[in-house]
Amino acid sequence: MHEAMTPHRGVSIVIKAPGRKSRVGLTAVGLALVALAMFAGRGTGYAYGPPALQSGLAAPDLPTDPQATRKLQAKLVAQNKQFGAALQKLAPSGTYVVVDQTQNRLYVMNDDKIVRTAVCSAGSGMVLKSSSGSKKWVFDTPRGVFKVRNKIANPIWKKPDWAFAEEGKTLPTNPEDRFESGTLGKYALYLEDGYMIHGTLYTRLLGRSVTHGCIRLGPEDLQAVWDAVPIGTSVYIF
Amino acid sequence: MNTGLLPAIAWAVAAAVAAAPPAPAAPDLARLSLQNDLLQKQVELAKGKEFYLLLDPRAQTLTLMFRAALLQQYRVGSIEVGVPRVVYRPRADASNWEGRIWEKGALDPARALDRVEVQAPPPTKEGTEIEIKVPQTPEEKYPVPARYHIRFAGGLSIEVRPPNSESVRGFWARAGANLATWWADAKAASRIEPTDTVRLHVVLSKQDAESLYRALPPDTKLLVLPQL
Repeated sequence: MHEAMTPHRGVSIVIKAPGRKSRVGLTAVGLALVALAMFAGRGTGYAYGPPALQSGLAAPDLPTDPQATRKLQAKLVAQNKQFGAALQKLAPSGTYVVVDQTQNRLYVMNDDKIVRTAVCSAGSGMVLKSSSGSKKWVFDTPRGVFKVRNKIANPIWKKPDWAFAEEGKTLPTNPEDRFESGTLGKYALYLEDGYMIHGTLYTRLLGRSVTHGCIRLGPEDLQAVWDAVPIGTSVYIF
Repeated sequence: MNTGLLPAIAWAVAAAVAAAPPAPAAPDLARLSLQNDLLQKQVELAKGKEFYLLLDPRAQTLTLMFRAALLQQYRVGSIEVGVPRVVYRPRADASNWEGRIWEKGALDPARALDRVEVQAPPPTKEGTEIEIKVPQTPEEKYPVPARYHIRFAGGLSIEVRPPNSESVRGFWARAGANLATWWADAKAASRIEPTDTVRLHVVLSKQDAESLYRALPPDTKLLVLPQL
């Protein structure tokens, strides 16, 4: 009995090849499964359609009394004016500057219209560590809105500490040694926190993120910005 | 009673009724109320510290704004609304996404910021300038995928794609891309919590799609202006 239940060595199991009918049946089942999977797959994922008009927006509760309706209308009209005025007050009017710091483009805008596009250079995003490791500078152009605080022709650059560290020089003991002319080009428009829009000696690098945070422009674009942008203009950097 | 007064009173009443403006229609009031709601939200966004996108399906524009200032405007070719479904069964409610402020918009795949750290040389009197390599252009630095998402907290995402005419060419390349898209969508829709509860499929020109990808600031907000 025990022997009969244990498979013997050399005993092979023979699987019969399906007959023609069975093959046709198996193929049909296979095709049906594939069709079912395709059908299910087609209905899985994201179903797209056009956006519906006013979908999902709840209308306010409206009174039925005509007088109350008129009162509500007056209130809504007043609110509409109030919000519209608030939005207009917040928006810049006339000339403003937009800087796309990732793509290194500067736009002079006038009432939402681009009046000049310039290739610029913005912050490299590089981190410079002092040789001792005690100081660290991050060369980012900040995002946000800034005002043009001052405009200077033939600006003289007061070199900050990082400029000496980058050049491997010791910090000067004489403050006069920090001043350098010509580096910033013909004009500088001072924003806040020491950031500027200025010219450059390295015009071949325009369009690349190479600066220490300032916005560099080529001579022609700098002249155009200088002419178009008065002190107090908003500069939006994104 | 003086009978001569009656016609005068009747005339006065009729005149008063005629003088009173007609009560405004309910749809007009509803529209005005919704307009106010949207204006209020735009004021709220404009007062905030974050950048925001305004998607206007009627004007077919996607506008990047900050403090009510227009920074960039992209022309939208077409907009479609997508809802997740599994075997034709919708898995999310595709309403209530317009006229609402969506927050914390982030690119997927993310735009990598590879910060280079440089150690300054020890200072000498003459100086030893460190060698800084010429950085890549934005186009070299940030390659843009053919299809990307801006995902907002709460389940809405904007899926940006270039028009078919500007996407991959060649039958097999297109078939492969379509299969990959289907697989990614099927996976996203089949999760326990679908990756996106509502997806806005926005078609921008290749140039605009790339520009938006490279320029989008982090944590951008979104307001979709309903078609009133």
